[in-house]
Amino acid sequence: MSPKEEIYTRHAAKGSDRGKILAEMMNAEGKPEVLDDILVLDVSSANFAGIICASFLAEFGAEVIKIEPADGDPARQITPFGVTVQGVGIPFMFEGRNKRYMTLDIKNNSEDRKNFAKLAKKAAVVIESFAPGEMDGWGIGYRQLSADNPGLVYIALSAYGQYTDKAKESANMPDADITSQAGSGLPAQMGGTPNEPEPNNWPLRGGMWAGWYVSGLSAALGGTVALIHRQNTGQGQMVDVAGMDAYSSMVGMPATIGYTWEKARPRIGVLDFILYPYGHWKCKDGFVAIAAPRDHDFRALLKILGLWEQEDDWRYSSDRIPDILEQALHLHKIIEEKTLQFTSDELVKMALNYSKRSARSKWRGGGVPIVMKLMTPEEAMENKQWKIRKAFQEVEDEKLGKYTISANFVKMSESPPRVKWVSSEIGKDNEYISKKYLND
Amino acid sequence: MEDYFSYTAKLFNPDEASQKPEALKGIRVLDFSHVIFGPIAARLLADYGAEVIKLELPFYGDLWRPATYWGKYWKHSNPIWHNITKNKYFLSVNLQLKQSKELIYKMAEEADVVIENFAPGTADAWGIGYEKISQINPKIVFLSCSTYGQFGPMRYFPGWDLLAQGASGVLTLNGYPDTDVYYKLPDYVGDFVPGNFGALAILMALYHRKKTGKGQYIDMAQTEGLMRLLYHYTYHSVTKEAIGRTGNTDPTMMPASIFKTADDKFLALACATAEQFKNFAGAIGKAEWATDPRFASTLERLKPENAKALTAMAVDWIKSQSCADIVKLADEKGFPAAEVADDYSIAYDEWRRKRGSVVLFKDDVYGNLVIAGPSAQLSGTPSRTKWLARPLGYHNRLVLKKFLGLSEEEILDLEKKKVIGTFDDRPGLKPPVYYNLSEDPIYNYGKEVGK
Repeated sequence: MSPKEEIYTRHAAKGSDRGKILAEMMNAEGKPEVLDDILVLDVSSANFAGIICASFLAEFGAEVIKIEPADGDPARQITPFGVTVQGVGIPFMFEGRNKRYMTLDIKNNSEDRKNFAKLAKKAAVVIESFAPGEMDGWGIGYRQLSADNPGLVYIALSAYGQYTDKAKESANMPDADITSQAGSGLPAQMGGTPNEPEPNNWPLRGGMWAGWYVSGLSAALGGTVALIHRQNTGQGQMVDVAGMDAYSSMVGMPATIGYTWEKARPRIGVLDFILYPYGHWKCKDGFVAIAAPRDHDFRALLKILGLWEQEDDWRYSSDRIPDILEQALHLHKIIEEKTLQFTSDELVKMALNYSKRSARSKWRGGGVPIVMKLMTPEEAMENKQWKIRKAFQEVEDEKLGKYTISANFVKMSESPPRVKWVSSEIGKDNEYISKKYLND
Repeated sequence: MEDYFSYTAKLFNPDEASQKPEALKGIRVLDFSHVIFGPIAARLLADYGAEVIKLELPFYGDLWRPATYWGKYWKHSNPIWHNITKNKYFLSVNLQLKQSKELIYKMAEEADVVIENFAPGTADAWGIGYEKISQINPKIVFLSCSTYGQFGPMRYFPGWDLLAQGASGVLTLNGYPDTDVYYKLPDYVGDFVPGNFGALAILMALYHRKKTGKGQYIDMAQTEGLMRLLYHYTYHSVTKEAIGRTGNTDPTMMPASIFKTADDKFLALACATAEQFKNFAGAIGKAEWATDPRFASTLERLKPENAKALTAMAVDWIKSQSCADIVKLADEKGFPAAEVADDYSIAYDEWRRKRGSVVLFKDDVYGNLVIAGPSAQLSGTPSRTKWLARPLGYHNRLVLKKFLGLSEEEILDLEKKKVIGTFDDRPGLKPPVYYNLSEDPIYNYGKEVGK
């Protein structure tokens, strides 16, 4: 431990090199890859949930073949403001991790379907996002492929899933991120309070692909459970992810609240519906996020902001619950009047100094008011923490040049995920794949 | 050939799910974690058949036990906590006593997975960290969850979901351009998503262990989990610009927004591809849009000036139609559209119940509760709900007798020495007042109970 290290917990290891030892332990270089015996075929089309799922498996070492028609997966053009590098969209570049690219037109060409079926015989995982039943109609759905390859894990992504009357009725509807968010109820919980002017009080879309990433992660998790069962028994199965419910099922709260409260939560702006203070406030030079929801955290926050006279009114977390919106907004303003007097750096320092003393004192009740400068993604990229943890990686595509991605999303001591290369070129590995898998 | 949907209806039949095999049967998990991030990783393993033993302090319990929406309890429990901690065994042990640690060490000998999410360094300081547990059991898969990770200069910074959203940049992306109002993503996504990543890492480690016999240490930082979801970094590195906030419009598709319909409902509608756009334009009687040079190609359509013109035209059409009519058209013609769902519609939509993504579960202690199903449905080894959350220390006897072979006398002794304990009178910790615990065969595991 360097003498300068700032410690905000009373339980930090004293005088040890835990940080250095761990950093060394998590170094991915030369380590084995978990899925090095797994072949994945990604035939998803215009659907990033499928591409994302394939990326996760590729990062854990699977051989992933992205299969698309000669004019490319339309997902290549799903990109902010139409920005591309040589026709390849930004999200496609971002997810182009450790993948092989092969051209097959399974939608229109029966010869290509045969080759796909041949590959699928050797594959452990197939990922697809066509209309439910479409692959089956072409004779290359789970029903047919599993007859030849009972160990196959077949991951299907769609708007409403592969079974139920609703799935059949809405089979034609493609899955997209914003409809996945809407169907899962995310926007209903985001946006201004009902009395604000339109459209500020409308349901608000999450400003990133919350629907598609949650669907892709769900597919990868379900797929990996299936791979474990396959490892134990040799049996494959079908994994079905529906964009319209993936997010609401992952967070789980909407269903239970709708049932126990018998109505929907209203939108409460920047407040939280359980914790307070738990949000962000304006300060002299931008915004700070503040989390001090436990009573002892809150008392500490009042002290450092010079608001101790408020303690009597807001002492218990039950006093601060924003069930009466007006009351919660009142407290919000009281805090804002103070935060506006300081810069974000000053506020962060005030909170951390308190926490440090709190960690060393048995009289401060462990109050840890957390204050942090709100960062944009671009600012986050400059943070030293992520440099040391190699959370961002500069990669180079043979054709598209250098760019930066976020990688190494989990550190593992024996078999970590990693990005070995990026590529996006249509049909780049046709020859390699034919030789390796189609020559017999 | 049998109709596809009749085939899949049998393949996924929810009524048969409880008789199917469990992929993680025989995996034992010690769950030292609290609040949401760690507990969710553990719960996902429990959903697929692992035995998860959740450790809590007597009379105190998990911090999240009483943390319900607007302080509303349900049968003296926190309704949303049932979703976070279902299917687990609840063991309450006083960690400060030496004898308690011995119990934990004994359990660690037979365990496969340990999960913790204390501030980095805390579990080690208490003697229940990877260092100690891996000495007892070198094959252990040990997941440490934190906001900024176990190493790096920010490792000792405390955190919550909010801080991960703030540190990754996620929080600054939600809101309207040219305003200074941001919103955080709701429902603690910053815990649930990294919790799922943590479970994914554990599954990968178990897969690796089966091949090599080796356990490992996993360091999951929730901020890094959220950062994996943002292509915004790549956009910045390529263009030197920021995507920023785009309000209700997704800048990657066009049209793609949340609109207001004639009947004052909110509808998300998107066209991700040229084909979907053609379907949309044809459906609304504007087939000429699909050949308009501004809109015909996907990349042209996404250009800000064209996108603006097209969105305005879409707004005009959508506000003249009812929400249900548009969704019906979308089903028929093939473009994405959905009404914005809310808590109530999610709880009561018929298709979700039939699919099993929302489940009316009948619990032995609490009776009926609607809870969320899994976010991925598996045909062979489905996720399932076996029981809801339980009062603090509810499974003390079951765990100590069944898993550790302790006798009733030894347990009484542990109770006397306050090594193990249960709940006090606080809601969230105690059973429903109507429930008679003295007659519960699981709470009194291995004892005679009079009915």
